[in-house]
Amino acid sequence: MSASLLSVSTALSSILLHGVGSILPAPLQGWLTNGNAIDALGILIFGVILLAASMLNTILLIWWERKLLGRFMDRRGAMHVGYAGLLQNFADGFKLFRKDTVRPRDADSMGFFVGPTAYLVTSLVIFAILPISTGWNSGNLPLSLLLAITIFSFAPLFIFISAWSSNNKYSLIGGMRSAAQMIAYEVPILLAIVAVVIVSGTFSLDTIVTEQQNYWYWGPLFLAMVVFVAGMLAEMERIPFDLPEAEAELVEGWNTEYGGMMFAYFMLTDYVRVLLGCFLIVLLFLGGWTMPSWVPSAWTSFPLAGIFWFMLKAYAVFTVFVWIRASLPRVRTDQLLRVGWNRMIPLSLVSIVLAAGLVLAKCVPVFGCLPNLGG
Amino acid sequence: MAGAQVEEKAKPSRSILWVARPMLTAARQFGRSLLRPSTIVYPFERLEDPQFRDRVGVGSGMPIGVGHIWDNYRGVHALNIATCISCNLCAFSCPDLCIDMVTVPGGDPKHAKKSPQIDYGKCSYCGFCSDACPEGCLTMTTRYELSVTKRAEMIFSPQKLQEVFDRKLPMNPVRVERPANEDAILLEPPLCIGCNACARDCPTNCITMLDIPKVEAKPGEKVAKRIWKEPVINDSDCVRCGTCISVCPKECLFWGTRT
Repeated sequence: MSASLLSVSTALSSILLHGVGSILPAPLQGWLTNGNAIDALGILIFGVILLAASMLNTILLIWWERKLLGRFMDRRGAMHVGYAGLLQNFADGFKLFRKDTVRPRDADSMGFFVGPTAYLVTSLVIFAILPISTGWNSGNLPLSLLLAITIFSFAPLFIFISAWSSNNKYSLIGGMRSAAQMIAYEVPILLAIVAVVIVSGTFSLDTIVTEQQNYWYWGPLFLAMVVFVAGMLAEMERIPFDLPEAEAELVEGWNTEYGGMMFAYFMLTDYVRVLLGCFLIVLLFLGGWTMPSWVPSAWTSFPLAGIFWFMLKAYAVFTVFVWIRASLPRVRTDQLLRVGWNRMIPLSLVSIVLAAGLVLAKCVPVFGCLPNLGG
Repeated sequence: MAGAQVEEKAKPSRSILWVARPMLTAARQFGRSLLRPSTIVYPFERLEDPQFRDRVGVGSGMPIGVGHIWDNYRGVHALNIATCISCNLCAFSCPDLCIDMVTVPGGDPKHAKKSPQIDYGKCSYCGFCSDACPEGCLTMTTRYELSVTKRAEMIFSPQKLQEVFDRKLPMNPVRVERPANEDAILLEPPLCIGCNACARDCPTNCITMLDIPKVEAKPGEKVAKRIWKEPVINDSDCVRCGTCISVCPKECLFWGTRT
């Protein structure tokens, strides 16, 4: 699997442009088949493929959550549209798509429409950075982890923009709660990532995954993983940290004023971010697309095996999220912030110390030794 | 000293258990409902379908209506027009006034046969009518699907109720026992003029006009003009519908305890 998705789509665009150019007159043909045009179309195709794949996965994720939650609540979840309700979310999406987009009279038009759009776009962009197989997506970026986390942390800004421009006090309060929560939990997340970076010695997600060839990081860096998963739950605003939305108590929190397709943007983006969080957890702690050496090589060498195992792991992580959602009650705001600042940050600092100890010791009794790649 | 006996607050368990315990409970529930959740996919699975009940093991092997939750289910009525005696008791007993007695074909030409027509827009499914029915021809079935598009379709004519009966749905077998010391219809003989109206209108034909000895007129005394017949009521056949009382022109029939 040396070809990345970007190179595949560039090749596709080259074939397309040469095919179209061959039936056109000479100056147009030359203009179409030069390198810049091929690159531009290749990036476009890359984006379209990524968008379609991530959207499909997001919708499948929502279906999976509905089915799982149903079983946790002793019912079935969506059943009627498509096989076992597979098409139910498409039906819901079409329903929202057909609805009128209503803007409150006093809302700020710019922020009201730009907020959700930017929220969705900045969340989708990260899919172009995360590798889901060897050299997949845009190749080996040296600082991909840093870039992904940076874009991931734009969200509170856009949530706050859309909440504020709704010109509704409930939206504004919801947006403030959301921003406070996200900022409080971004610090422990970053510190937990620091632990991973110390052990792997790199910011490149590709290299982090290859560093986990002897053992996945969830074992030695268990504390960091716990902090990271809890922080991700808060970042994704899922139960037990879903205070900004609190569907049982509030009227949708900061997206009170949004209806129709704008509301669908928010709901979709929430799940896009959940998918991103699952991807990050798999990449950082669960070995990415690699499998342990005791797995038969036939299971890991079929075409697209990396993507298969990666998605399997991501969905397994999401299953744990749904399990948590089905089990735990919602925390209060003060509990949330106290846990965030008073517990999570010290724990993540401890995990950094543990990671430094791991680097010094080189070898861990049960798991084995660190490879000498990045460090 | 009330203040001294403040209950000690229950010590909170370790915080790790706050997470672990509910998650274990949820996992147990998940495992239990993994094979088959408690819900029924209603339009495709029905509890009244015996095959379905056999499959999921809910009251399997038992027909509905015998020792089962459906025992006293009160759904749409079924009417057997053939055995209806037009006694009007169902309409009398209805608390919602949703039963009208309407003419149905059959019956002798002089007296049109009337059977209940039920407006399900008003019906509260209390079951008083089927309790009151002396012949057991108006019963409640287990049919519960009654969605229509027009209000007029909510009114079920006797023929439509007969169709429900013809579907041979399981019926509510619970019947109300008649009390032993039930009031009977009594006659105050001096008022009776022997007009035969009660015997003519009795739905069960339990009233017979019998000859009574003629009163001898003394010379110079006027005797009431009578046909010298009196109604005699067969108590075992009487269903206590009260039709005779309402048709009596002289109000000589009344409710009372037979001594």
